[in-house]
Amino acid sequence: MSKSVAGNMIIFLLLLLMQVLICNHIMLFNVATPIIFIYVLMRLPMDLPVKMVMLASFLSGFLVDIFSDTPGVNALSCTIFSVLRKPVYMMYTGKDDNLAGLSPSISTLGAPLYMKYLFSMTLIYCMLSIGIEFFTFTSLSRMLLIIICSSVMSFILMLGVDSLMSHSGRHT
Amino acid sequence: MLFIVLVLISCTLLFTGNTYQESVYLTSANRVSSSIYGVSQGVTGYFNLRSINEDLQRRNALLENEVLNLKNAIGNLNTLVPMDSAEAQRLQAHRYDFVSASVINNSVNRPRNYFTVNRGSDDGVRPGMGVVSQNGIVGIVNVTGRHTARIISLLNVTQIFSVKVKGTNSVGSLIWKEGNPSIAFVTEMPRHVKYHVGDTIVTSGYSNTFPEGIPVGIVMAQVRASDDNFFTLKVKLASDFNELSTVRIIRDMYKSELDSLNQFDSKEE
Repeated sequence: MSKSVAGNMIIFLLLLLMQVLICNHIMLFNVATPIIFIYVLMRLPMDLPVKMVMLASFLSGFLVDIFSDTPGVNALSCTIFSVLRKPVYMMYTGKDDNLAGLSPSISTLGAPLYMKYLFSMTLIYCMLSIGIEFFTFTSLSRMLLIIICSSVMSFILMLGVDSLMSHSGRHT
Repeated sequence: MLFIVLVLISCTLLFTGNTYQESVYLTSANRVSSSIYGVSQGVTGYFNLRSINEDLQRRNALLENEVLNLKNAIGNLNTLVPMDSAEAQRLQAHRYDFVSASVINNSVNRPRNYFTVNRGSDDGVRPGMGVVSQNGIVGIVNVTGRHTARIISLLNVTQIFSVKVKGTNSVGSLIWKEGNPSIAFVTEMPRHVKYHVGDTIVTSGYSNTFPEGIPVGIVMAQVRASDDNFFTLKVKLASDFNELSTVRIIRDMYKSELDSLNQFDSKEE
């Protein structure tokens, strides 16, 4: 357990650095900014107490905010995101599944289910953070375009991170 | 609970740390709060109307006072052009002053109507002073107590007021005949006076009760007169006596002086 926590923390720190140093400066075709630091939050075991997930999410969002100079945007998004994590997971897997120690991944859920979960959560996060950043519906079409493009790009990048993780997992 | 706390912290960070979100939040919050305040003001606004009305009446009295005094000053100056300036200044001294009062009892349906106001001799009210509402004259002080005064209403068949058609110098007498509290008659108007229906009837200023030019009513029609040399005008009164609430009592600083002159005349006779 402590090993997985430490591993998650290291991954989180790496992703955080990537997010603030690289991803935040990307605006592909002027519509897509990748968000990858939420990968760890999505991968947290489903049986973790909601309060703990909420606190961890808030802190990680807060850290990203500090480095991105966007106080509150990611903290608020992550807090709401953490509450929605379980319901989305339940929606795809069914309520009766045993959640003990289960961490969402291709190996535990299977590729189609995992991808659905990953994309849904990414889309939710992008909707939250970009919605809060825009904070108005006056340019709704552009906001939707950015949300969709950012979600797709983040999703692809997170799949890449996922394959790297599973690759390194197999080697270690 | 934790969720609410975290959301609140995030929102605080969001609205204090981001200029854009802060401005959007403030604009939206202002819109919401202003609409709420608007509704609440719509409800509570009525509670203060009495004091606001009294305040406005007081301020109106001050302004009217000023207008009358300025008119008086202009009149004096017009006749005093050759006089030296010290003399002119002395005569410019304020002649009229107003005491604002609330009507506490009123009647309109008797032949001799009176009303009572909440100002008396302690406030400087004396019998014989003119009383006006915001629309025009309403009566003359009859009897004063220390804190109240009884006013002879314009709607009193025994009371006669000296009036004229605005813009002319021919004087007539305003009398009320029983019945309709919004209609009175101007009798003894000389035949040669030109008037039109809708002309304003104002006080003549020939009595020392009312200054010249205070509105009385509007000419409605001419009615047949008993004397061929004069005609009688039917007048719609400017003041609504059914809704009399706040009035002003006019104090003329020259009144005692003028009264003593009149007494002197009567002694001579």
